[in-house]
Amino acid sequence: MAEVQLSALNKTFGAVEIIPQLTLTIPDGSFTVLVGPSGCGKSTLLRMIAGLETPTRGSIHIGGRDVTGSEPSERGISMVFQSYALFPHMTVRQNIDFGLRLAKVPAVERDARVAKAADILHLQPLLDRKPAALSGGQRQRVAIGRSIVRNPEVFLFDEPLSNLDAALRTQMRVELAELHKRLAATMVYVTHDQVEAMTLADQIVVMNAGRIEQVGSPEELYRHPQTIFVATFIGSPKMNLLTGPIAEERGATTYGIRPEHLSLTEEGGWSAQVKFTEYLGNETILYLTSELGELTLRINGNQRFGTGDSVRVKADKVHEHLFDGKGRRIG
Amino acid sequence: MSASAPSPARRWRLDDRTTAVVLMLPPALLLFTLFVILPLLDAGYYSLFKWNGYGAPSEFVGLDNYAQVLGHGIFWQSVRNSVIVLVVSIVVQMPLALLLALLVYRQTPTNAAFRLVFFLPYILAEIASGLIWSFVFDGNTGVAAGMFAALGMKPFFILADKDWAFFAITVVVVWKYFGFHMMIYIAALQGVPAEMIEAGKIEGAGRWQIVRHILIPQIKPALMVSGFFAVVGSLQLFDVVIPLTNGGPSNSTHTIVTYLYAFGLTRLKVGFGSAVGVILFLAAIVVAVAYQRTLNKEAAR
Amino acid sequence: MNMSAFFAGLGRAVVLMLVSAFVLGPMLVTILGGFKSAGELRTNPFGFPQNWQTEFFSSILSDATFWRFLGNSLFISLVSVVLTLIVAAAAAYVFAQIRFFGARWLQAYLLLGLVFPFATAILPLFIKVRDLGLLDSYWAVILPQTAFGLSLSILLFKTFFEQLPKELFEAAWVEGCGYVRFFWRFTLPLSTPILATVGTFVFVSSWNNFLLPLVVLNSRELYTWPLGMMQFRGEYVVEWNRTLAFITLTILPSVAFFLAAQKYIVAGLTGGAVKG
Repeated sequence: MAEVQLSALNKTFGAVEIIPQLTLTIPDGSFTVLVGPSGCGKSTLLRMIAGLETPTRGSIHIGGRDVTGSEPSERGISMVFQSYALFPHMTVRQNIDFGLRLAKVPAVERDARVAKAADILHLQPLLDRKPAALSGGQRQRVAIGRSIVRNPEVFLFDEPLSNLDAALRTQMRVELAELHKRLAATMVYVTHDQVEAMTLADQIVVMNAGRIEQVGSPEELYRHPQTIFVATFIGSPKMNLLTGPIAEERGATTYGIRPEHLSLTEEGGWSAQVKFTEYLGNETILYLTSELGELTLRINGNQRFGTGDSVRVKADKVHEHLFDGKGRRIG
Repeated sequence: MSASAPSPARRWRLDDRTTAVVLMLPPALLLFTLFVILPLLDAGYYSLFKWNGYGAPSEFVGLDNYAQVLGHGIFWQSVRNSVIVLVVSIVVQMPLALLLALLVYRQTPTNAAFRLVFFLPYILAEIASGLIWSFVFDGNTGVAAGMFAALGMKPFFILADKDWAFFAITVVVVWKYFGFHMMIYIAALQGVPAEMIEAGKIEGAGRWQIVRHILIPQIKPALMVSGFFAVVGSLQLFDVVIPLTNGGPSNSTHTIVTYLYAFGLTRLKVGFGSAVGVILFLAAIVVAVAYQRTLNKEAAR
Repeated sequence: MNMSAFFAGLGRAVVLMLVSAFVLGPMLVTILGGFKSAGELRTNPFGFPQNWQTEFFSSILSDATFWRFLGNSLFISLVSVVLTLIVAAAAAYVFAQIRFFGARWLQAYLLLGLVFPFATAILPLFIKVRDLGLLDSYWAVILPQTAFGLSLSILLFKTFFEQLPKELFEAAWVEGCGYVRFFWRFTLPLSTPILATVGTFVFVSSWNNFLLPLVVLNSRELYTWPLGMMQFRGEYVVEWNRTLAFITLTILPSVAFFLAAQKYIVAGLTGGAVKG
């Protein structure tokens, strides 16, 4: 298990600077999630750690060693791809021990390692099947199994759950979290889904256009987003952002409050009309037009509202956010 | 058509479908039947007669033509030559094509230029290729002559040598067709997902190991198709042989088709030539069936 | 770059250059040979000519029969292309779009041509063409050539048509568009890539065809360029330089056409292979 240190990394393709200058420490044993919209550079960053892309400038250290010039197989890493990248002509067992066979690891040890991985991932009955005969979730486990037997210092995941349906995704999330606890390994995980980030990560790295917006625990990012980008990226439904008097009278350009920190009140607060309601069973989302602008409000339980209903809304003062003209947090 | 009267709209639609079929299908069927199927059936029929092509076939000889063909030493020589081409195609040409495909399949401008150059012989007419190489091999004034002169040796007319002439022909076949096979492999190689190769790299596979364990298994279908074309092509070799040797010297370089042409067509022995054609046809069927069987076996695995 | 990568790169470059020399050598020698005198051909087969003899090229280019050969080939090839495109696309469309009784049998029947070697039929074809009164005419080449190319062309078209979105036809059908009209208005315009691919494939096969014209054409005025070339060779057997000039002039159109249409040529010739 090892710490990953990225120093002043720059990646430029021709005239396009994908990543201008990035420095990041991934602590030993952590589950670090790189999250951000498409094109923000998170996959490029992961591939640089893996050695599949070379940085234009800067260095990468894994476990204290400088691996910037090393081949992927020499870095002590393993990777699970979005498409799993299993070898269709090999059985599950052969897929998993492919690297071990190449390294001429003796058969006894090979079988032992495969057995252990198969045990952790419940793959024993599938060992002699070919990938075509497996479901999506099973293929993904095989890809993870291939990663585990290498005993790497760092596990890399490139959007591994994107190709699974919603129910399977939730299940795999839990299994990945358990895997992390069991192996106590350093894991670097790329996703565009903030729910995966929030549920899996010890440390989240929010990226935007090749830069790091903020690094922190899920709770930190949720409670104290440093920029408007992070504030609106984390949390669903998105944080309400209001400009105008409400922000200016507090000395800011933008005032932010999450939908779950707004509540309905009988008196006081702001007046609003219901535009649209979404009933999700356990909660209700209200889309309102208020004197301050458009607002989204989240309430527990199932409450019925009609379009055009008048309501009054108040904010939980503890959870107010203020941002300056550049989108940065104030206070 | 249904017994009850269909509604006007429905009836129109039925007719429209029939119109389309009746209008658009028969031309192909007619052309194909008239110029492909009927001649093939005729070949079988004519092969049972001794006939010079004029009037109608009258001299029924049963399987005598076949006996003559199968008893003719030159025919067996031509079969042997066809097999030689086949073996050379599989043992020399395909590996060469595979090697080059592996060297130039990545999309770069230089690779694109090389791909173009290597494919060039394939688009030239076989007849032109044969004639070009006829010059190259010419002991008097060709490239061969120049090379022998430079080495201080007497000129060697390879195309006039009974033992070596066909070897020269196989060189031309390789020259002409390796680019075609290469392109098939390149298309297959370009279809291998990049992530699969990257996964191999991460597992520690070196260049050669990636080729052996990942690329070649992935392009198996292309290898099969290319092999099929090699076999079929070797059976039908004609155009290159004519300008190079015309079947000589001493009938040592005939292929099955040049044999058919020389001993069947030019001598107006229609029955005899048809028998050769039928034998060729049977060989093609055997190849096709064997190929289909191998395909099915692969698919079941 | 480490040592093994350097040697690998070097090895690769050497192999590629050697093979290129193997490929281009004979062609260059041919082109240059047409410019050399007979003596020079002997003494200097590889290099550039000392004096560029243009007389062979000019005598061929000013010979009307040479252009006649090319013209014959061009006409036959173009008509073959047009005929194949219409007939094969129409048949393929029926198979791709319309379900009717016996469709599968007819499809299998038309695809039989993929297996049959052309040479098997050459004698009976000669007889049949003669009996139809077409011997020694352009149609003697065009019709059988088209017929033998139908199997592969229909296969290529059918595969392409099957990949067009089905909703397109259903939407047009609801608007009252019939099968035939849909073919002209929608399928064909959307099929330009496959039309180009099949067209180039048929054109190249026809342009290079030797055996069929050899058998069915007798009159020199109708000779395609391969026949003309072989006859020219026979006339000037001892004058290799003259023959080389002729060859050069006949392969130039092929090379030029290839460079211009390479995308389609490669797609057609190898796509047919992969699909088949």
